[in-house]
Amino acid sequence: MMRTWGGRLAPLALAGLLVSAPVLAHETPRPAEEEFIKGAFNPSFVPPPPGSYDLPVLGKVGSFVLRDADGRRVSTAAIMRGKAAVVSFVYTACSDRLGCPLASAVLRDVQQRLRAADLADRAVLMTISFDAARDTPARLATYARALDADPALWQFLAPSSPSTLDVLLRSYGQDRAPVYDERGRFTGRYRHVLKVFLVDPSAQIRNVYSAGFLVPQVLINDIKTVLAE
Amino acid sequence: MSVHEALRLLTLAFLAVMVMAVGSAFADETCQSPFLPKVTGQEDYIYVWTLGVKGVADGNDSMVTVDANPKSSNYGKIIHRAPVPGQHEAHHAGFTDDRRQLWAGGLDTSRIFIFDVATDPARPKLVKTITSFEKDTGGLVGPHTFYSLPGRMLITALSNNKDGGGRTGMAEYTNDGKFIRTIPMPKEAPYGYDVRVNINLNRMLTSSFAGKKNYMRPVGELLKDGEAMKQFGDSVVVWDFHARKPLQVLRVPGAPLELRWALLPNHHYAFTSTALTGQLVLIYRQDDGSWATKNIAEIGNTIPVDISIAPDDSKIYVNSYGDGTLRVYDVSNPFEGKLIHQVKLGEQANMVSTSWDGLRVYSTSSLLSKWDKPGDHWLKGFAWEGNQLVEKFTTDFSGVGRAHIMNFGAKSFGPR
Repeated sequence: MMRTWGGRLAPLALAGLLVSAPVLAHETPRPAEEEFIKGAFNPSFVPPPPGSYDLPVLGKVGSFVLRDADGRRVSTAAIMRGKAAVVSFVYTACSDRLGCPLASAVLRDVQQRLRAADLADRAVLMTISFDAARDTPARLATYARALDADPALWQFLAPSSPSTLDVLLRSYGQDRAPVYDERGRFTGRYRHVLKVFLVDPSAQIRNVYSAGFLVPQVLINDIKTVLAE
Repeated sequence: MSVHEALRLLTLAFLAVMVMAVGSAFADETCQSPFLPKVTGQEDYIYVWTLGVKGVADGNDSMVTVDANPKSSNYGKIIHRAPVPGQHEAHHAGFTDDRRQLWAGGLDTSRIFIFDVATDPARPKLVKTITSFEKDTGGLVGPHTFYSLPGRMLITALSNNKDGGGRTGMAEYTNDGKFIRTIPMPKEAPYGYDVRVNINLNRMLTSSFAGKKNYMRPVGELLKDGEAMKQFGDSVVVWDFHARKPLQVLRVPGAPLELRWALLPNHHYAFTSTALTGQLVLIYRQDDGSWATKNIAEIGNTIPVDISIAPDDSKIYVNSYGDGTLRVYDVSNPFEGKLIHQVKLGEQANMVSTSWDGLRVYSTSSLLSKWDKPGDHWLKGFAWEGNQLVEKFTTDFSGVGRAHIMNFGAKSFGPR
């Protein structure tokens, strides 16, 4: 039986990672959004089979030294070398239902599918925080545990300096801006367009997914497509 | 913590979604890409890609900002103009997926002008010009629709540089202006015009108009040329969006132009209108997954051009070039369009855009430099009051050029 999309995100709520944003009582979820999120996990179309389409190169990404959930300095190039990488930019306090929680739930699903497809040693998942001040290694570790992340397959990382973050986000083409209130105080939230990137074993971006088309089966087919080249 | 409690917490968290409009709005702001964050409330600005006219201002094409906020002292007024060098047959424009840039095309010169609209949303600034569209794409001419996809722009073309006819294709560029690939239109449906994606179905539709030797020709001369008048598109193509592969060609005679998907996820249909045969056309998915069309309203011999869909899929707005009239059709039964309201706008009309909340409707006048009739050019703003569209303002464009496509801006999409 299919789990509901809410059920897929439940681990984050249990870990206390999804309740930090203020609630607008007069706003209710839009039916279209409900349908849309369900569609990510149970699409109403059959994605085209791997290798039956082209994924042209969109750009090349650099290598960055980031901090992992154990507080160690690690090189993204070393993590990604020779593998297809799925890279997602988030902040753990994000409560936008079509934002970071959705991306993390999708990566969780992709992790299971990679294992099932016997691709766990040919691909890697990377969740990178753009809120390094609050997303400490301990918080990233809690987030990872809540998602049942396998450390051999799914890395949780954060840049250790604002300048590294800027170059990293520019390299991928990911926008992100702090949201301030009327008095100019940081609200704890960031505005960003949710983007997940597929990077091939040569460090080239081959596809970008946003909340409109973040479908695990599409991601798996795309990973198989670039690995078969 | 029980599962029930966890779900309650999730619900509370999810109720906060609309605090952050970016990336979370999927209703209509007229008919933008589903990948584009929407202006969900009152739009502050309307960016009008404006055709330059010799002897008017500096004569250049320009991105004109009109203040659209009723609370502003400049409501309905032009507050900024960003000219580009020369005249290029300014036509359509569209945002990148982060709404930081507005790309605008010239149908004559195939130039693409990229404006930064995030640094100061009231004052778009030209930051890059792509002059290599023809060369990049292997000969496509006339960049038309600028449609945001994640990390890239999908651009339809109208023509080619071999014979100036309607055989053409689409091109993709990264958000920073690097060419990615060309996607030719299928041989049995070679013409191009608009493109729209339905992400719930992984389907993409394209429509068909005419080549450069038709759209850059004076309309009076063109209408008398029987052979030339046969060289208009008669097809809508259904594509596998992810694979960018054509699946089915639908015959829709008479130059089907703008495409508008219904927005509710269980509405598996779209609309178009035919310029030369005056039909409002439904494009719908059949039970077996194939697609079909049905003419659902006779608009008449008025040369319908732009259309816009209401956020709840209940209405289609149709602007006609021939009689300068805005018509509103009830399409709550999509198989039968009923004319419920009309407004005479002027001697001619072209673009029509609906706000995300469906309360406001805007129209502009200009179609093509060699097809426009003598007379005024303007942007008009309307609001629904009961069952009537009431005019709120007219912005006179006589001092800047001819008003073409509109894109909405908001202060909240400011510096990032």
